[in-house]
Amino acid sequence: METKLMKGNEALAEAAIQAGCDAYFGYPITPQSEVLEYLAREIPKYSTKEHIRVVLQAESEIASINMVYGAAGAGFRVMTSSSSPGISLMQEGISYIAGAELPCLIVNVNRAGPGLGTIQPGQGDYFQATKGGGHGDYKLIVLAPSSVQEMADFVFLGFDLADKYRNPVMILSDGAIGQMMEKVTFGKYNVHKTEKPWATTGKPESRGRNYITSLHIQPEKLEVHNLKLIEKYKEIEKNEVRYEEIMTEDAEYIFVAYGLSARICHKAAIIAREKGIKAGMFRPVTLFPFPSKRLNELAETAKLFLTAELNSGQMVEDVRLAVNGKVNVEFYGRLGGMVPNPEEIVNKLENLISKENVS
Amino acid sequence: MNETTNLPVLEKLTYKDFAPDQDVKWCPGCGDYSILKQVQGIFPELGKRKEEFVFISGIGCSSRFPYYMDTYGMHSIHGRATAIAAGLKASRPDLDIWIVTGDGDAMSIGGNHLIHTLRKNFNLNILMFNNEIYGLTKGQYSPTSHVGLVTKSTPFGSIDEPFNPAELALGAKSTFFARSLDRDPKHMKEILLEAHDHKGTSFVEIYQNCPVFNDGTFFIYSEKGTKKEESLYLEEGKPLIFGENNSKGIKFDGFKPVVVDLTDGKNSVNDLWIHDKRDRIKATILASFANGNNGTHLPRPFGIFYSIDKPTYEETMLHQIEEVTNKKGKPKLDDILSGDKTWVIA
Repeated sequence: METKLMKGNEALAEAAIQAGCDAYFGYPITPQSEVLEYLAREIPKYSTKEHIRVVLQAESEIASINMVYGAAGAGFRVMTSSSSPGISLMQEGISYIAGAELPCLIVNVNRAGPGLGTIQPGQGDYFQATKGGGHGDYKLIVLAPSSVQEMADFVFLGFDLADKYRNPVMILSDGAIGQMMEKVTFGKYNVHKTEKPWATTGKPESRGRNYITSLHIQPEKLEVHNLKLIEKYKEIEKNEVRYEEIMTEDAEYIFVAYGLSARICHKAAIIAREKGIKAGMFRPVTLFPFPSKRLNELAETAKLFLTAELNSGQMVEDVRLAVNGKVNVEFYGRLGGMVPNPEEIVNKLENLISKENVS
Repeated sequence: MNETTNLPVLEKLTYKDFAPDQDVKWCPGCGDYSILKQVQGIFPELGKRKEEFVFISGIGCSSRFPYYMDTYGMHSIHGRATAIAAGLKASRPDLDIWIVTGDGDAMSIGGNHLIHTLRKNFNLNILMFNNEIYGLTKGQYSPTSHVGLVTKSTPFGSIDEPFNPAELALGAKSTFFARSLDRDPKHMKEILLEAHDHKGTSFVEIYQNCPVFNDGTFFIYSEKGTKKEESLYLEEGKPLIFGENNSKGIKFDGFKPVVVDLTDGKNSVNDLWIHDKRDRIKATILASFANGNNGTHLPRPFGIFYSIDKPTYEETMLHQIEEVTNKKGKPKLDDILSGDKTWVIA
């Protein structure tokens, strides 16, 4: 066990090394360039003739994701990271990787948009991350860290899930979690060696020639492939839902938030309790699969859900779908890289409660 | 479509008319300040109204430029300024378009759009500030960084062969290529005016010092002690002469450029290479000077390497439309609707 004080981006990069990341491809963009810089400095120390581990600054994010495509096709543990505009550029490649069922880890240190926006934190990429992002029917497994510790933990988890399901995994972080410094503990991690008989590595007698493609030109065959993917996503929804609950046992009012917003809502829940409001917080850790079932259960007893996001209202749609009208779901958001303080959110809750009492 | 042509001509503008209404924000000592001053300086001489100019940039330190010119402007997408400019020029050929980009923006992520814009030859101007580093993201290597450069993303030295922008431009069928540098404002001004005069895409590489992440890379071409020996100023129709007291020249040994001493009596000015900006082969050889030419140390050329007249894309496009319209006549909607490209579904 080793505890360090690190930036979120650096903890993520360090975890990638410890998780046995063979190759990293990236392009500078604020606020995540530290990932590229840390790995460029540190990974070569672990590279040997027998086990080459590489870091390469690509000529663009389009190149980065396609380098990931190439290395993942050969069965390597491979990762890229970027921030919102760069992730938009990668969407073509991500769709192909999902279609070709290749495992890889993609990190989005979300900044506020649209367009160039700003380099301050945002959560405006929720839809892009959880609803596909590129073209066609596909899903990424999406993990949302809300601490520097989780920036590291989710790298290990992400690589394992990617291999397990042969599916791209996205860590959806944000500019604040990426840039902030906190203590982070690295335990002993054993790199899971997953068999990858589909990889384009040689041609043993035991099988035919492997090739990687997302093309199924005959509709009958593509539909079979689509259905297979959907079965896989159902399996992921069954097995991999993760969430955190704070003071929800007796909560009448539940904040629903992920990532940076969840840190703020955690504090908001504490302040609300001090004011005598029975508040709690529910934090989806996996954004896909979304913890709909548990939210639906909580809707049985809660009076109100208040979803807080650094966007104009994205996850709130999934929360409403999850509770299916059982409970009123309200929204509070800040935009443009502005980050609310906990009091702002408590005020919003108090206003909603007083309205509720009036009506 | 062309709304500006009927406006009255404005009185003579000065550089102040093109200066921004906001503070210029680059790091202290950045070479971009000098380039901005020269660009603002030439604009009154171009004889156009402010609203006829458009500055288009991508992302990077240089790409803040449109904010600092009081003209129309677009601060656009990383690497895409050339494509966006092409779209604008194709639809508004009357506008005077300036693209401001950097080595990362133009040659890395924008490499694809750059080469295609160059070969299409729209009448527009590309100013590429080359500082051989990524400045805005705080110091990663760029596609013009030399091999061995230690940066945040190449802590053990870059191993990539860099682009030679002159060779890239010529290879992409650019009709104008010139090089200048931030520390020689007089030269830069001349080049900027020539670039603007060029009908077609002019591509100007401007060596620009990044005092924070890549300080001094080009100082040998501008500092007193080394400038005369290391830089070669190209003048049309003149021999290639450089060095202290113009004591050296470039001569051809076959196709190989060699440095000769003009003081030892073996060679005279008459033996030297005469600069001809219309000569593509000579331009290609000049472009290769920056490669170190098989161990021969050659001075770095500044000035117009290559400039030829060729119809622009927008001219050819409009001409083609006119030609086809003349041949086929102006189409009528009824003719299209009832023409031979329609059929009845049984």
